Amino acid sequence: MTLAPGRADTKISIRGVTKTFQARGAGRPFTALDRIDLDIRGGEFLTLVGPSGCGKSTLLDLVAGLTTPTSGQIVIDGTPVTGPGLDRGIVFQQYALFPWRTAAGNVEFGLEAKGVARRERAELARHHLALVGLTGFEDRYPHELSGGMRQRVAIARSLAFDPDVLLMDEPFAALDAQTRESLQEELLRIWERTGKTIVFITHGIDEAVYLGQRVAVMTSRPGRIKEVVAVAFDSREGDLRADRRFGEYRHHIWTTLRDEVAAARREEATPVG
Amino acid sequence: MADPALATRAVDEQPPRPGDQHWYDLPDDDAEPEEEPEPVVPAPRREWRPEWRSGVGRLVHRWSAVALLLALWEALPRLGVVDRVFVPPLSDDLAAGYDLLVTGQLGEHLGASLLRSLAGFALAVALAIPLGLAIGRYRPVADFLSPVLELFRNTSAVALLPVFTLLLGIGETTKITFVLYACSWPILLNTISGVRTVEPLLVKSARSMGLGPARLFQKVILPAAVPAIFTGVRLAGAYSILVLLFAEMVGAKAGLGYLIQASQSSFRIHDMYAGIIAISAVGLTFNQLLVIVERRFSTWRTSS
Repeated sequence: MTLAPGRADTKISIRGVTKTFQARGAGRPFTALDRIDLDIRGGEFLTLVGPSGCGKSTLLDLVAGLTTPTSGQIVIDGTPVTGPGLDRGIVFQQYALFPWRTAAGNVEFGLEAKGVARRERAELARHHLALVGLTGFEDRYPHELSGGMRQRVAIARSLAFDPDVLLMDEPFAALDAQTRESLQEELLRIWERTGKTIVFITHGIDEAVYLGQRVAVMTSRPGRIKEVVAVAFDSREGDLRADRRFGEYRHHIWTTLRDEVAAARREEATPVG
Repeated sequence: MADPALATRAVDEQPPRPGDQHWYDLPDDDAEPEEEPEPVVPAPRREWRPEWRSGVGRLVHRWSAVALLLALWEALPRLGVVDRVFVPPLSDDLAAGYDLLVTGQLGEHLGASLLRSLAGFALAVALAIPLGLAIGRYRPVADFLSPVLELFRNTSAVALLPVFTLLLGIGETTKITFVLYACSWPILLNTISGVRTVEPLLVKSARSMGLGPARLFQKVILPAAVPAIFTGVRLAGAYSILVLLFAEMVGAKAGLGYLIQASQSSFRIHDMYAGIIAISAVGLTFNQLLVIVERRFSTWRTSS
């Protein structure tokens, strides 16, 4: 490959990725992402935080292969991304569960796409629902489950077909604070157990610092990566949020983003000619 | 260009479909905790018995209005409030119906009507669902057919009955074609809108798992459209009887429509009412059957 990753353990390499959209009726194309460079290591938990409209989800769609970049390239394990694939699993904010399928049926969906045999599918579905703490809920339909449980099903579905990379687009944003916290803890537990590479989008700074080994801070209009903060705690045990350094990381990112939000507001106030 | 209009019309004609609501946005996602608290502990499925009992209570309540109507039908003619000659008491009509049943006349007419409506209805299901799926799925097909469909959809089936008669004679073919024509529209339009209103996020989610167009259609779009299709099928079921009756009144030698029309013109008023009662019984039964089939195929819709 011409675009060899810079480091040996790089899993996802995003190189000079730009994405523009042709706005309806407007003459000039809208730049959602501008020359993004980002390397994500294998087994890393990277969080991506930024103001709304900064192109976080667009970046995730590109990594997922659902859209193609206007310029630049995304390389996973040395192979350029050309389309969606089962080496990456996505978890959406709105769960995206198939309402006509039970919890187990939803988890099996990706396995069917992968061509796993029926018996093995059922076994894997049960295993992964157990992993997210939903034993006994296999036969429930999504409308019979709470929001938190639905998101657990969605996570189980993405884990079941065993992708290397888990892409999560604000997965806990629609949940109440308590459910969110317990799911964050569980996600960390699952990550430690499975060793997946996780790219996690959020607009919550606390969530970004709590979950990420590194936090990529994005700016808006056009979307750029302003800074990548390495979050290092001595230990993840106990109440991490009460840690002094948690507060420092949090404050640092907050200050960075505040300037950004202010800039975005000014931009919004000036009519685009 | 005609598509949006077509879609809006389809929406106008039917009760809210699941495509209109987002099953993701059910109360527990948003801030309405008093309506449905988060089930933290695995909540047992709702007990069968109490639900059944309250169901009976509701049934009694719902049918009391019908009972009242029937009581009035019996009482008012007897009390001389309405003319017995034109509106005989219910019991007289039922007695006449019983006579028709015993002599085999009712069965004969009923059989003729059912054969026609079921044939037309079945043909409409067989033709309109695939056509609707194709139109909903493939833009070029939609662009090509929409104007024609829009034109025909707005042409009343009743207005076309004389044309059918001219072309196909006055036999069974005409009546079955007539029912087929009338039944096709609700199925076709609901199928189209069912396919078109599939939640885009579900499509995106399935695509992200590497599903190609064919599998996507089979595993996502088709199942998501099933409730809308069934709404159309149920409407068509009702139409199949309504329009057939009209055709039978205009020109037929058998069938419930003929029975009603012929009884009225030969002043056998009891028989006329017996025919009317029979037709509403048929309609109710058919609709109930379709409701049962619909439930069977869409258990995942909000259980009620």
